[in-house]
Amino acid sequence: MIRVDNLHKNFGNLEVLKGVSLEVKKGEVLVIIGPSGSGKSTILRCINLLEEPTKGDIYIEGEKINDKKADINKIRQKVGMVFQHFNLFPNMTAIDNITLAPVKVKKIDKKDAEDIAINLLKKVGLEDKRDSYPVKLSGGQKQRLAIARALAMQPDVMLFDEPTSALDPEMVKEVLNVMKELANEGMTMIVVTHEMGFAREVADRVIFVDDGMIVEEGTPKEVFENPKNPRTKEFFSKIL
Amino acid sequence: MNLDFSSMPQYTQLFINGIIMTIELTLISVAIGAVLGLIVALMKMSSVKVISFIGSAYVEIIRGTPLLVQILIIYNGLPQFGIKFPGFVVGIIALSMNSAGYVAEIIRSGIQAVDPGQMEASRSLGMSHSMAMRYVIIPQAIKNILPALGNEFVVMLKESSIVSVIGFADLTRQAEIISSVTYRAFEPLIIIAAIYFIMTLVFSRLLSKFERRLRSGDTR
Repeated sequence: MIRVDNLHKNFGNLEVLKGVSLEVKKGEVLVIIGPSGSGKSTILRCINLLEEPTKGDIYIEGEKINDKKADINKIRQKVGMVFQHFNLFPNMTAIDNITLAPVKVKKIDKKDAEDIAINLLKKVGLEDKRDSYPVKLSGGQKQRLAIARALAMQPDVMLFDEPTSALDPEMVKEVLNVMKELANEGMTMIVVTHEMGFAREVADRVIFVDDGMIVEEGTPKEVFENPKNPRTKEFFSKIL
Repeated sequence: MNLDFSSMPQYTQLFINGIIMTIELTLISVAIGAVLGLIVALMKMSSVKVISFIGSAYVEIIRGTPLLVQILIIYNGLPQFGIKFPGFVVGIIALSMNSAGYVAEIIRSGIQAVDPGQMEASRSLGMSHSMAMRYVIIPQAIKNILPALGNEFVVMLKESSIVSVIGFADLTRQAEIISSVTYRAFEPLIIIAAIYFIMTLVFSRLLSKFERRLRSGDTR
């Protein structure tokens, strides 16, 4: 469903990604772990072209997306993204946050968009917050709303860029639970996270990225219990 | 020193005409300046280098040269090439163009003060750049822009007095007219100084009230 081929990304002289290749199948949950600054987030941001790859190809359902002819706005509709800092629209209520893109981009009738939004709010446990502004929400609620907003476009794949890193510890679980539910429903997901418990439990596959390269790849069991690469071992020894 | 305001009340109508003219000129100039300024700001932020250069050059030139010189170029300089406008129009053109340079910077910084994450989130939902600008960025930027635009109005209210040098019948010009009839310079000038002061004071107060309301309605 998603294929990344020899992806390179430079920021000026800094080489952040040094040839990353990966593949995600439909319904698969891929978790990307690694030390900060290793390039994990950049991989995600390249997959919906928030960053333009310096070299390499990215295919979504067979279509090369980093191509001059590709309709990037169309492609992004199929790829939902959840950010570390939520990036909710502060001047809109919860429900308007969700309906904006379906109404303006997909030209869905406002009423239908609201029905979809209400269902999504229920799904993430925020049905009583439909008219609240983001400032009135806790961090965990904000992130759940951001997930609902992304889901409203009915994407084929969801990208999560450290979705719980900006949250207070007691709010991490409510967000992870929503993500787990999503995974159980068969959503294709790529998740960059520091939540090793989540990775173990939910991931179909885990990749460990260090210094712009995939150093280790396998099932959670393989990667966590029997890491082969010394850098992976060192990383786990620091955080576990 | 002999101060004599007794001859002044008979010229009340002239002062009032001047006030109306000054406010009119300022309102029109800031309004046109805001529209021009928005265009210049968008040019300056354009990814096309030539367009962004023109935008930047405009702002630098307008801000780097005296308003008086700009007015004189339009009023005395352009007629040399057969381009001649009446004084009122020159006043509006000069002040609008000048205002646009400052407003462009107000708008640009207002837009750039919006969290870049807002653009990313909008784009990630499939919105085009212009859609994101229109539905997400600009509505948020307006809250940053409006108060500064109000300040620009207050500044322009005072700066506009400079058009009196080309005979524009604004408040300052009226004082000159009155002093040429009464042979008294100090009295009319001190009166218009007081009027300018009161006008800027009133508008500033109104502005800060408006600004407070913007903030209290701020849902961030």
